Amino acid sequence: MSNFLFGRYLPGKSWVHQMSPQSKLMLSFYFVIVIFFANNVWTYASLSVLILIVVVMSGVSIGYFLKGIRPLIWLIIFTVLLQILFSSGGHVYWHFGPFSVSDTSLINGGYIFVRFLLIIMISTVLTLTTTPLAIADGVQTVLKPLKKVHFPVDTLALMLSIALRFVPTLMDEMETILNAQRSRGVDFGSGSLKHRIQAAVPLLVPLFTGAINHAENLSTAMEARGFTDSEHRSKYRVYRWQRKDTISWVAFLLVGVLVLFIRNN
Amino acid sequence: MKDIIQIKNISFNYPDQPLLFDKLSMDVHEGEWTAIIGQNGSGKSTLARLIDGLIVLKSGQIVVDGLTVNDENIFEIRNKIGMVFQNPEDQFVGATVEDDVAFGLENRQVPREEMHRIVEKSLRQVGMWEFRDRIPANLSGGQKQRVAIAGIVALSPKIIILDEATSMLDPRGRQEILSLVNEIKKQNKLTVISITHDIDEAAGADWVIVVNNGAIVEEDKPDNIFGDIEKLESIGLSAPFTSQLMTALKARGIDSHSQYLNDERLITWIKKLISTK
Amino acid sequence: MDQEINFNQVTHTYQVNTPFAQDALDNVSVTIAPGSFTAIIGHTGSGKSTLVQHINALLKPTTGEIAVYGRTINPNTTNKNLKQLRKHVGMVFQFPEKQLFEETVIKDIMFGPKNYGVSEQDARRDAEDAMKLVGLDENLSEKSPFDLSGGQMRRVAIAGVLAMKPQILILDEPTAGLDPRGHKEIMDLAQELHDQQHMTIILVTHQMDDVVDYASDVIVMDQGKIVKHGNPQEIFSNPQWVYSMHLDLPSSAEFATRLVDEGVPLRHTPLTIEKLADEIAQLVQGGQEHE
Ligand SMILES: Nc1ncnc2c1ncn2[C@@H]1O[C@H](COP(=O)(O)OP(=O)(O)OP(=O)(O)O)[C@@H](O)[C@H]1O
Ligand SMILES: Nc1ncnc2c1ncn2[C@@H]1O[C@H](COP(=O)(O)OP(=O)(O)OP(=O)(O)O)[C@@H](O)[C@H]1O
Ligand SMILES: [Mg+2]
Ligand SMILES: [Mg+2]
Repeated sequence: MSNFLFGRYLPGKSWVHQMSPQSKLMLSFYFVIVIFFANNVWTYASLSVLILIVVVMSGVSIGYFLKGIRPLIWLIIFTVLLQILFSSGGHVYWHFGPFSVSDTSLINGGYIFVRFLLIIMISTVLTLTTTPLAIADGVQTVLKPLKKVHFPVDTLALMLSIALRFVPTLMDEMETILNAQRSRGVDFGSGSLKHRIQAAVPLLVPLFTGAINHAENLSTAMEARGFTDSEHRSKYRVYRWQRKDTISWVAFLLVGVLVLFIRNN
Repeated sequence: MKDIIQIKNISFNYPDQPLLFDKLSMDVHEGEWTAIIGQNGSGKSTLARLIDGLIVLKSGQIVVDGLTVNDENIFEIRNKIGMVFQNPEDQFVGATVEDDVAFGLENRQVPREEMHRIVEKSLRQVGMWEFRDRIPANLSGGQKQRVAIAGIVALSPKIIILDEATSMLDPRGRQEILSLVNEIKKQNKLTVISITHDIDEAAGADWVIVVNNGAIVEEDKPDNIFGDIEKLESIGLSAPFTSQLMTALKARGIDSHSQYLNDERLITWIKKLISTK
Repeated sequence: MDQEINFNQVTHTYQVNTPFAQDALDNVSVTIAPGSFTAIIGHTGSGKSTLVQHINALLKPTTGEIAVYGRTINPNTTNKNLKQLRKHVGMVFQFPEKQLFEETVIKDIMFGPKNYGVSEQDARRDAEDAMKLVGLDENLSEKSPFDLSGGQMRRVAIAGVLAMKPQILILDEPTAGLDPRGHKEIMDLAQELHDQQHMTIILVTHQMDDVVDYASDVIVMDQGKIVKHGNPQEIFSNPQWVYSMHLDLPSSAEFATRLVDEGVPLRHTPLTIEKLADEIAQLVQGGQEHE
């Protein structure tokens, strides 16, 4: 659990750390869009190479990085399996009732797996290298146009930053509660499915009440420090567009063009 | 002496609960260190939240430095009061030390250059400037509380309220925070309200308020409060160290014939006993 | 069976091999005697909680091993077959009220015993015994634990551990946030469990007065190392060292030091109020007799 990386910030001075949050955020969005244009081995391969380069430039070791997102990979594999079993078409290898496995569903399943993986990797890099407040700041800037239609951009951004800020706290709390219930004889992660679901209750109830408690304390503390709304605030940090941002954008745009070029039409 | 906080006949209850405060009144003297003590659930934190306008009164009035606590004045009131809570984790809003101290300044729309100057000054004052890039996970509890205090000092308030701010710290950490607040209090002529379960800390205050079941049982100088130990014990509190020592001495036939002595006076008395033996 | 707890060169690193790696225990070797009342003290982050969580294998050492109840816990220990160990070693976490989840107090206390296969009936009996032990009124048993006061919730949580009838009880800062009466009640309970039920008590605390009032053994931790292990008298004999560990003297010793500074010729450094009063009385009355 403590290896879980998604949503955590790792202080550092790498290339990616130094980019402006707005441009990182936009690049991530852009990258996700490009992913949906990929439809063959070559397109997926080039995007994978790109993301690996990004991970390297974020200063986090790749092995560790992959280990850190492993908990999520199980979730993806589960989704992919469902996808494979329920889709139809192509040459059928095996079937049972509504389930079937065919060559196209296998290939599609593989692509979906890679697609998920790429999305998780880019968002993990984003949160690993960008402080929660900076991400919130980025969201605020990016979504600014929506203010015209009275969308609560600032509030959304602040909520996001606090949610991210509390990821590690809640992780720690989860670990403590797991340990407390283990001391009372609970065996998490063993036994039948029914048993496992039952074992989740003593974890989830305290986790939920704990989260509410933290949230209440935090909002009290914020109010006490003069917070009223997220709109009327000045900014301690400014993030300027730098050459690093320009270079990254050029690289990402080139890969985007490449993907359009080599995808199956 | 001027009363910087005046609480007049306030009543309050949490939703669907009986009245916690029923026509409670009290004052806090400017420039003093006031300790609030009382059992768990007696209403100490609630009182602090009412003073800061974080929850709303049912009836009565609270005046902070000449301003009535209400929706209109709330922002100005919170400019005057800085609060430090028990759990260091739950009040760290920023991603790093520096960002956290800036949070209150950002809320007050302080211009950026000034903000950087104030943040540095405040962090230096609490001895945390070297830690400015750290994230909360890499700080000890005491260090997080220092950051919280820097965040308050940055706003130059007139009142600091500590709600069990030292109860999760190690002994040195506890003392360091208390002497830090004391130093800041002297430098900036602040009023301090400290909610605490540490009776010895309360014994060192200028003024002590004893709360029980939503009512003020007593408010007085420590000398008078700690003169009646039985009364304190009857409401779940304990005697400060010096009283316990005096009781133990009395059992050995050494009677001071006074109700309560603080550290210094007890030492003086013992010295006199020994020199005049 | 060998009942002592033995740490042999135990090192623990959180999130080992990651950029978040955090050394918490550094080559710790120590033996905790059965039947002792051991206090563990040290500055925040010194590794106290990490140390005690190894005793019932909630954490596994990164290197080294721990022997407890005939079990050996080493880096390869898996989470299987630890139930017996965890039944013997009761663990009360800091702010244990956070772990409550059942609809009623009694159900929550019965949760532990039932996990160990005790029948519904026996679990209820054990739970009721535990409630008595911690001083919870019977008529609270059908209430929701979330409707209780902070102090009562803490007691329910402790009862939930006691209902499993452990032989070793670990208390991690059990009195944090409690008022003086609640504080004394919990500490007296620990003493009663030690004296009357012969439990080994391991108490993590920041309260030096509790250390001298209740503990027979003291372990001092600093930056993941055990820097001293001895009885309270030995631990507090050198004030300068104590301060350098981010700790304090117990109030009596602190006061005695101030008396000595003021020229009162105390011969020993008394750790408790009674001893301090004895010393002062001796100086005062001893003097009178000479006249
Ligand atoms: N948010 C809330 N909603 C409902 N009831 C509350 C809330 N906060 C506190 N209470 C109740 O109000 C009463 C007073 O609580 P308060 O927190 O002010 O006590 P306290 O003196 O600060 O206690 P402690 O020493 O434990 O911190 C208690 O009975 C408590 O259960
Ligand atoms: N789950 C965790 N992940 C990473 N590091 C941790 C974790 N838990 C504790 N640490 C770190 O390990 C070190 C020892 O922590 P530990 O909680 O054992 O200290 P402690 O002596 O119990 O402190 P306190 O008095 O504050 O409770 C600290 O540096 C802490 O930051
Ligand atoms: Mg309170
Ligand atoms: Mg701890």
